[in-house]
Amino acid sequence: MKSRRAFLAQLALASEDALTSLDAGVLVCVFLRGGADTLNMFIPYGDDNYYKVRPSIAIAEPAKNRGTSTQSLRLNDFYALHPKLAPVYPLFADGQMAIVQAVGSDNESGSHFDAQDQMEHGEGYGKPLNGGWLARYLRARADKKVTPLSAIAIGATVPESLRSAPSVTALTSIDDVQMQLPPRDAEAVSAALTSLYSQRMDLLGQAGKDTLEVLKRLEGLRRHDGKNKPSAGYPDTEFGKGLSQIARLTKADVGLQIACINSDGWDTHFVQGSTSGIQADRMDELARGLAAFDKDLGPCRGRVTTIVMTEFGRRIYENVSGGTDHGRGFAMMVIGKGIKGGRIYGQWPGLADQGDFLLGPSGLAITYDYRSVLAEICSRNVPFDRIAQVFPQFDPQTIGFTG
Amino acid sequence: MKLSRRSLLQSALLLGAVSPLVGCEHLSSEVTRRLGEEVPEKVGAYPGDSIDPDFHFLSRTTYGCWPGDLDYLKSVGQQHWLEEQLHPDTIDDKACMLRTRRFETLNLDAGTCYEFKKTALQDDLVRHAILTATYSKRQLLEIMVGFWSDHLNIYSQKADCIYLKGIDDRAVIRSHALGKFKDLIRASASSPAMLVYLDGKENKKSKPSDVPNENYARELLELHTMGVHGGYSQHDVSEVARCLTGWRVRDRWRRGSSYFDLSMHDQSRKKVLGQTIAALGGSTDLDKVVEIVCKHPSTATHIATKLVRHFVAEQPPASLVKQVAATFAATDGDIRSVLTALFMSDEFRASAGQKIKRPMHFVISSLRATASDTYAHKPMLEYLSCMGELPYQHPTPDGYPDVGRPWLGTLLWRWNFAFALLNGTIPQTHIPLEQLMSAVPGTVASGGSPLFSYFIGRNPTSTELFALSKIPAARPDLLVALILSSPAFQRY
Repeated sequence: MKSRRAFLAQLALASEDALTSLDAGVLVCVFLRGGADTLNMFIPYGDDNYYKVRPSIAIAEPAKNRGTSTQSLRLNDFYALHPKLAPVYPLFADGQMAIVQAVGSDNESGSHFDAQDQMEHGEGYGKPLNGGWLARYLRARADKKVTPLSAIAIGATVPESLRSAPSVTALTSIDDVQMQLPPRDAEAVSAALTSLYSQRMDLLGQAGKDTLEVLKRLEGLRRHDGKNKPSAGYPDTEFGKGLSQIARLTKADVGLQIACINSDGWDTHFVQGSTSGIQADRMDELARGLAAFDKDLGPCRGRVTTIVMTEFGRRIYENVSGGTDHGRGFAMMVIGKGIKGGRIYGQWPGLADQGDFLLGPSGLAITYDYRSVLAEICSRNVPFDRIAQVFPQFDPQTIGFTG
Repeated sequence: MKLSRRSLLQSALLLGAVSPLVGCEHLSSEVTRRLGEEVPEKVGAYPGDSIDPDFHFLSRTTYGCWPGDLDYLKSVGQQHWLEEQLHPDTIDDKACMLRTRRFETLNLDAGTCYEFKKTALQDDLVRHAILTATYSKRQLLEIMVGFWSDHLNIYSQKADCIYLKGIDDRAVIRSHALGKFKDLIRASASSPAMLVYLDGKENKKSKPSDVPNENYARELLELHTMGVHGGYSQHDVSEVARCLTGWRVRDRWRRGSSYFDLSMHDQSRKKVLGQTIAALGGSTDLDKVVEIVCKHPSTATHIATKLVRHFVAEQPPASLVKQVAATFAATDGDIRSVLTALFMSDEFRASAGQKIKRPMHFVISSLRATASDTYAHKPMLEYLSCMGELPYQHPTPDGYPDVGRPWLGTLLWRWNFAFALLNGTIPQTHIPLEQLMSAVPGTVASGGSPLFSYFIGRNPTSTELFALSKIPAARPDLLVALILSSPAFQRY
């Protein structure tokens, strides 16, 4: 009998599309922590108000700075891409990346933590649900068996979106996941730990059991994928390294379904910069990371959908210190084969002058509830009648970026 | 009692008297051992099938028992012990001070700190935090320093924060950790490190079109005082931001100190939480804001909730929150009174073993229970870093999560730490295992049971005993490492 991997490899040779329909199974969630200023990532150069309210930080229209590294990249007659996001431009041009504009939640607190929690739980404001949306997504995907490598979080802590998942593993580096014990002690210790942690299947019991299982599985993976080294091009940062770990798990076909990774440092109250500076550096890392990830996945890219989200956008106008305070709506990126990309979804809500009138932190008006975007992504892998399990008490709008 | 100049000199002489051939750390260890960092000849056994109430009391009010701590508590009683700990100056802490005095940058002013490399400052800051938590006899103070350092979190790697966090630790956190809450908040509000971390120094109004930077104002209300649903509006955030315009940090002469610049201050009238702050208030606007928000009933509830979560249960019992908040309100936020109310409550007593240690607590309690001799060099910090809780490295102002769940994905690193600690592969870290084994009654004869009780505060269950029996009898090191790795030791 042919192994599953050989079978997939053969399919990949025959047609990448066939592979997509067979298993579009890995969902990668990139969370830009801090409230990313997406107005300066996907530039609404067609709106003059943009330049009026952001005198020192606005990014020029693509017709300016031609041929230089500060030239923005035209997406359509209205939007342009920040020059530091250039590495992902080919994904957009290729139709594999969609942008959904004016997304957000009904959270008016202006709090990072309240807004992140709400979004990671997949809730409406003030209507708490128990656990994270990705935990429910994992349960709703009845077609897949859940193992400790079904859901991973890059880093040391497990995000709220995976709270109450049947199983989840936090890791920074696959190669580091091993017991540092002299071989002669390993057997006795492992037997003792197994027995201690199987005593009670509470939070700790589950965590211990998962840890022991992951140790075994990753040891197996390391034995088999020696040749599977990441391609070059990842930024030499925790974020870049994290993405390369996700690619490695995807290629090794260990049953990965969800991977969460954070990008920190988007809370740009102070001198955020324009074509260069604090936010530009964040964009540079993000875009180079995503481009390297795509290249590294190679023929496996058809199995991966990547979403890039944040807890809220920022004020439309800049503050006294060349930064922007907390706002509302933002743009999301969705990347993957089979995404109807190369387009910007969602109507431009305009940059109305809000003066001193502040109902909640002012910012971009919201056209799509964030759950509509997430539900549409879920629909690729979760049967229609189960979407309501992932987002209870919510009626998603169809946006249309999935096939 | 402050460490007197004379006793410091005596200790220094004592240091000089020891053979000059051994390393400096070895010298310190010799001296500090004589000053009390030792394993007593015998430690008491208090066997029982549920966690000993005094063991529980110490597990929450300290970073874990040092050998002999439990016996001391039993001899003086919980109330006396608490009274002592609430007045840390009365506790002789020479040994710890000797061990941590090498971290000179913690005692310098900011201007001088700028002359050091960032990496050196970072190293001092983190090692100082770990070693004081491990060795200070003022354990409750250290626990509260940890609590407030999270509550008023400053990410040491943002901008110039590393030059300024040492002073913040001294002048804000340590000075007020057991004092009045509003003094703590007032000190934090004009602390240079906070002014840099949350952009307060950039918040100014020098011309009519200037829009304030409201970063700090929001976190003051949301995180530091009232809580996100505490009843303030977006308008209050903006008004507080206006009140706080004009606070700056010097960047040349007296670099790193804060000052108020009236020409950058919004001098018109403001209204915060319904109360008017008259025009032309200048720097006193800040005092008024602190007064208003600290007195607000939401602040009492918010702080009470956080303290009860920290000391009692991840799901804070409403009855206790109410009681602690009432004490907070009645005493004008007196932290000693609030803690006393908390530790003397039935809910506290009934919660033994129900919390999950965060990585820092796990590491420090391991070091303390084993009477480790360490100087927290880089290889040890690496473990804590893999577990995700190296001090002052949390980027966002909410501080490290104060619940157990998010930390359980890195259990592997707790196990690796425990086994490395016991098999001596963490450089310059030693455990007096033999003394420990002979101090704990009956260890040699009776398998793992007495050792388990010593570390966990109760007898092992039959399953736990069965697991311990898998370790060869000749390997007490593995046995201790396994107990430290067990689910029971992750709880407290």
